[in-house]
Amino acid sequence: MRHYLPRRLAAGLLVLWAAFTLSFVLLQVLPGDAVLIKFQNPDLGLSPQQIAEMRQAYGADNSLWQQYLHTLTAMLHGDFGYSVQAGVPVSELLGSNLPGTLRLALGGFLLAGLLAFALSALSRLPALRGLRNLLQSVPALFISIPTFWLGIALIQLFSFQLRWIPVINPSPWQGLILPIVTVAIPISAPLAQILLRSIDDVSTRPFVAVARAKGASETYVLWRHILRNAMLPVLTIAGLLLGELIAGALVTETVFGLGGLGQLTQQAVNNQDVAVLQAVVMISALGFVTINLLVDLVMPLLDPRLTLSGGAV
Amino acid sequence: MKTLLTLLPVPRALAFTLLAGSFTVHAAAPVKGGTLIYLEQQAHTNLYPPAGGFYPNGGILNQITDKLTWQNPQTLQVEPWIAESWTTNADKTEYTFKIRPGVTFSDGTPLDANAVAKNFDTYGLGNKAQRLPVSEVINNYERSEVVDPLTVKFYFKKPSPGFLQGTATIGSGLVSLSTLAQSFDRLGDARHIIGSGPFVVSDEKLGREVDLVARKDYRWGPKSSQQQGPANLDGIKIIVTPEDSVRIGALLAGQADFIRQVQAYDEKQAKEQSFPIYAAPTRGVNDSISFRPDNPLVSDIRVRQALLHATNAKQIVETLFSANYPQATSVIATTAAGYVNLADKLTFDPTKAKALLDEAGWKPAADGIRQKEGQRLALTLYESVPQPQNKQVLQLVAQQWRQVGVALTIKAGDAGSKTLDSLDPQKTPLNVTEVGRADPDVIKSSFYPANRDNLLQKGGSSDKVKSFRDDKLNQLLVNISAEVDPTKRLQLTGDVQRYLLDQAYVIPIFEEPQVYAGAPWLKGVNFEAVGRPALYGAWLEKH
Repeated sequence: MRHYLPRRLAAGLLVLWAAFTLSFVLLQVLPGDAVLIKFQNPDLGLSPQQIAEMRQAYGADNSLWQQYLHTLTAMLHGDFGYSVQAGVPVSELLGSNLPGTLRLALGGFLLAGLLAFALSALSRLPALRGLRNLLQSVPALFISIPTFWLGIALIQLFSFQLRWIPVINPSPWQGLILPIVTVAIPISAPLAQILLRSIDDVSTRPFVAVARAKGASETYVLWRHILRNAMLPVLTIAGLLLGELIAGALVTETVFGLGGLGQLTQQAVNNQDVAVLQAVVMISALGFVTINLLVDLVMPLLDPRLTLSGGAV
Repeated sequence: MKTLLTLLPVPRALAFTLLAGSFTVHAAAPVKGGTLIYLEQQAHTNLYPPAGGFYPNGGILNQITDKLTWQNPQTLQVEPWIAESWTTNADKTEYTFKIRPGVTFSDGTPLDANAVAKNFDTYGLGNKAQRLPVSEVINNYERSEVVDPLTVKFYFKKPSPGFLQGTATIGSGLVSLSTLAQSFDRLGDARHIIGSGPFVVSDEKLGREVDLVARKDYRWGPKSSQQQGPANLDGIKIIVTPEDSVRIGALLAGQADFIRQVQAYDEKQAKEQSFPIYAAPTRGVNDSISFRPDNPLVSDIRVRQALLHATNAKQIVETLFSANYPQATSVIATTAAGYVNLADKLTFDPTKAKALLDEAGWKPAADGIRQKEGQRLALTLYESVPQPQNKQVLQLVAQQWRQVGVALTIKAGDAGSKTLDSLDPQKTPLNVTEVGRADPDVIKSSFYPANRDNLLQKGGSSDKVKSFRDDKLNQLLVNISAEVDPTKRLQLTGDVQRYLLDQAYVIPIFEEPQVYAGAPWLKGVNFEAVGRPALYGAWLEKH
C-alpha cells in the first residue's frame, strides 16, 4: 500500500502526458489548421494576402516542435491559451462548460445506477418472479433507444404538450430533469445487464447455497450475500461509463441547448481548435485517471480478498 | 398571409415587400417593457464587427452597435445615423462625415470624430499586433483625419464608391476605443464589445446565452426610423437552441417570442397557429453552384452550359422549399442592387444539355455516366452547412445531372479538409456560394480573385490553380467597384450578371432568405437590409 499510491500517481501523470502528446500529433495530421479554418471562412471575406498576414500574426507556420513546446510549457503553467474559433480564453470556455457537464454527468450517472439497481433487485424479488423475463429484457430496450429521439420525445411530451417543465430558460434544477433522464436511460442498460448477469453468476456459488442452508431468507441472501459480491464487475464498468459521460453527452447537450464539454469537443475537433481540444483532452484524461484510481481504491473495501499491493494483507 | 403565398412570383415579391413594410405600422401604441426571448440556432463566434457577417454574430451586433449611416431596407438608400451628413469628392477617394453631437458609448466615452476615425483605421487597415483582420466591405482605405471633434475625413488610395454603403453594413458597427484596444482573441466575449446601440450586453454564458438590456439614455436612432428614444423592450435574452424542432416547438408552446432559422417544412406549422413567418431577403448573390474552370472536367464551356441547363431549379424550390425561397432568375437576387432578369438564360432543358455534352465529346458509357478518353464525367462537391437544406438541394441536383449522364458526389468533410480542398480546383470542380450584401460590390466580393475568388483564378486565393484566369470578367468586376456614377454602376452590374451566365460560370438556384418566426404578440420587428433582425422598435403585446 505504501508504494501503491505514488506508483499510481506517477502512472497517472504519464497517461496525461501521453494523452497531451497524442492529441497534439493527431491534430497535426488532420488537413488544415485552426487559423486557416477561421480566416479562410467566407464570412470574413479576407483576401489571400490578408489571410497570410493573419497566419503570420498567429505563428501558424512555426515548426511543430516550437508549437508543441510552447503549448506544453504554457499548459504546465496553467495557461490553456485562447480559442481561435470562439475568441475567448480557453479557461473561460472550460469554466462556462465544465460545471454543467459535471452536473449532467453525475446526475445522469446516479440515476442510471439507481435504475440498474432497481431493475436487478426487482427481477430477483421472489414476489415478481412472473415478471422476471420482462424485467430482464428492459436493458435491451433501453440501449436501443437513440438518445436523440429520446430527448426530443421527452421535450415534446413534458415541455410542449403537458407544459410541466420549460425547456427554454428553465431554473437551473428544473432544466436538469429531462437531460438527466435522457442520459441516464441508455447508460443504465449496460449497468443493469452486467449486474443481472453477475447476480445470476454469484447465485450459483457454493457460499450462497450455504447461506440458504443456514436458513437465511431469500431477501437477506440477495442483499447481504449476492448483491455485494455482484457489484465488483459493475463498479469497473461504471468507472468507464462515467468517464465517457463527461465527454460524451454531446447529443443530449445539443438537443437541450445545454452547452458542455461534449459540444465543446465536437466543435473544437471540427475547427481544429488545438488549444480547446488539448484542454478538453487533459481534463477528460484527468477524469479517467482519477475515477479509475478511486474505483481501484474502493474495490478492496467491498471485497477484502482484493488487496492493492498484491502481497499479504 | 395564406392567400398572399399563392400569388405569382412577381406580385408575390411585391406583396412581401409591402408586408415587410406593414410590420412596422401599428395602430396601437407600443407597450414598454418586457424581455424578449430570442432563440438562435448557433452560438456566436468572434464579435469583432467585421466578423458580423455570420448571422448569429450579426443578430447580437445589430442590437448593440450603431453605424455611421443607415441603409433604408425598403429603398436601399443610405440615410443619416451617427453621421448627420456627408460629402465626397467627385472620384470618391475622399469622404467627410459630420458626426451627430452627444452620442456616447455604453461605457460613457464619447462617440466623436476621433472614435469614428479609430474604428475605420482598424477596419480598413487591420491591426496585426492585435490580430484584427481587415473588413471585407472597406476597399482601398488609406487613412483618416480628424478635422474637428465632430468632423472626420477618410482618404482612399483608389476610388471607393462602395464605401458609403459599407459604413451602413453590419461589419462597420462602431465600438469604443477600449474595445478596439482588445486583441482579436478576446472579442469572442460579448461583454467586451462596447457599442453605442440601443441595447447593451449585460451578461453572457459562453456558447449558450447572451443577455442584453436596453440603454435608458439612448436617443440617437436613425432619423427616419419610426422608433425614437430608448428601445421599447427592457431586454433581450438570446438563447442558443441548436435543434430545429425544439426552437419551433418552444415558440409554439409560448416559451419563446422570436426564433431564427425556420426550416421551410416547419413554416406551415407556425402559420396554422397564426405565428407570423418573417422571410427577410439577403439581397446578394443567390444560393448557387459555381464552377472552378481550372479543373479540366469543367473547363469546356459546353460542359458548364450543359450542367446549367440540366439543373431544374424549379423542381428544387417546389420540392424542398416554400414561397419564401424564390427560384433564381439571375446571379443575384431580385431584391439586390443592379438586378437584371436573366431567366431566359437559365432554362431547364435536358435535351439541350445532352446535345452540348455530346458535342463536347462526352459519350455515355455502359453505366450511363459519360466518358471521354477513358475519363468519367464524375464531379464532387462539398455540402455547405450554413445554406438551408443544402445537402438535400445537392442530392436533387445530383439526380437531375444523372439524367444527362453526369455523376455528382456530395461530400461532408471536416472543416480542415473542406477548407483545403476548396482551394484546389482539381479536388473541387464545383463550389456552393452565397453572399448577402445590398450593394453592387457584392458581386465583385464573390468572384474577384483578390476577394472570395469563388471561381478560383490564377493569382487569386490559391497557388494550386494552374492556368484559369478571366481578365475580361475581372475588369468588369473592378469597374463596378470603381465606377462613381450610381446609374452606370448598376448597368455594369447587369453586364457582369450576363457575362457570368453566358460563360456558365455559375448555376443560380434560389434566392436565399433569412427566415424567422415570431409569436403573435411580438410587434415592431424590423430587419436591416440583408436580413439581420433590428429589435430596437420591437415590443411585446400583453398576452
